[in-house]
Amino acid sequence: MVSQEKVTRLILKVLKDLIDTFPESEQFVPNEKTVLFGQGATIDSLTLVSFVVDLEALLTEEFTQDISLTDDRAMTRAKSPFDTVLNLAEYILEIVDPALIKSNA
Amino acid sequence: MYQGKTVLVTGASRGLGNIIANHFLRNNAIVIGLSKSDYTFNHESYHHFTIDLSDPGSITTSFREIGKKFPKLDIVVNNAAVLTSQYSMIMPVKNAVDMVNVNLLGTFFVSRECAKLMRKGGKGRIINIGSMAATLEPMGDSIYAATKAGIQTLANVMAKEFASMNVTCNTIGITAIDTDMLRSHTPSAQEKIKEIISNLPVPRKAEADDVLNVVDFFASDRSSYITAQIIYLGGIN
Repeated sequence: MVSQEKVTRLILKVLKDLIDTFPESEQFVPNEKTVLFGQGATIDSLTLVSFVVDLEALLTEEFTQDISLTDDRAMTRAKSPFDTVLNLAEYILEIVDPALIKSNA
Repeated sequence: MYQGKTVLVTGASRGLGNIIANHFLRNNAIVIGLSKSDYTFNHESYHHFTIDLSDPGSITTSFREIGKKFPKLDIVVNNAAVLTSQYSMIMPVKNAVDMVNVNLLGTFFVSRECAKLMRKGGKGRIINIGSMAATLEPMGDSIYAATKAGIQTLANVMAKEFASMNVTCNTIGITAIDTDMLRSHTPSAQEKIKEIISNLPVPRKAEADDVLNVVDFFASDRSSYITAQIIYLGGIN
């Protein structure tokens, strides 16, 4: 089932796996409001790159379709889809093949 | 020397790539060879992927398979290149585009896919095979020299981006070496190369071991502090 809940869970899993590699003093528990990019970001730019790489790989495997989170659609939006986990989940639901959502619904 | 290491070599089916792949196999590495042809080594540690390095989609698809088959990647040698030596005003468009796609963009896409795999292993070595053309800038090699200069810059930028992952990125600027590519030149181009070689501080062609020596240096576990460097052979700088 491709739902916002499932996508959010996948995002948080990837994020947590990365956070677990941080020094203990810098670790935190991510949630839907965690800021990924821009003012108040909780991770640095290189960590964000790693996060995107891992998330794209996981989503591509889960949804059996190539998913790019950094193509023109994402980069030209007035509001970055990376500002919070929740917004990113909403964005991913927008770009996942609707047929797949229907077939999994 | 490379027991337990997994090494990826582009353009492994012939020429210098073949020499480099053989070198790693002789030294007990697992070798993943990428090339456009179906050539395979008769060696149990050699794994071939037929791939069009001018096609980013082909690279991404192959790396998805490579990532599933090989749990880690230690070393990559970006060797594949195509060369047409011709004066700029009469260079065929297709040959110019091919050089950019294979030599420059192919190296970029392979390097970034390798970096994703290396990140999981916590370290890696990316070694680009550059050329004396990048600095000698011979007539007829405008695009080829530019692509080879380009991969030096690629390595240097990637060295910064990948440093936190303990992945080093370096370039070897090779001189002429007896390979299929060199032999495929026209007689006039051969003459031009001969003249360039005669003017080098060390006026001879490179031997395979001259290249392998630097490959081993960059690939070494001891070279973790060596990154964004270019080593030219034959006294060029």
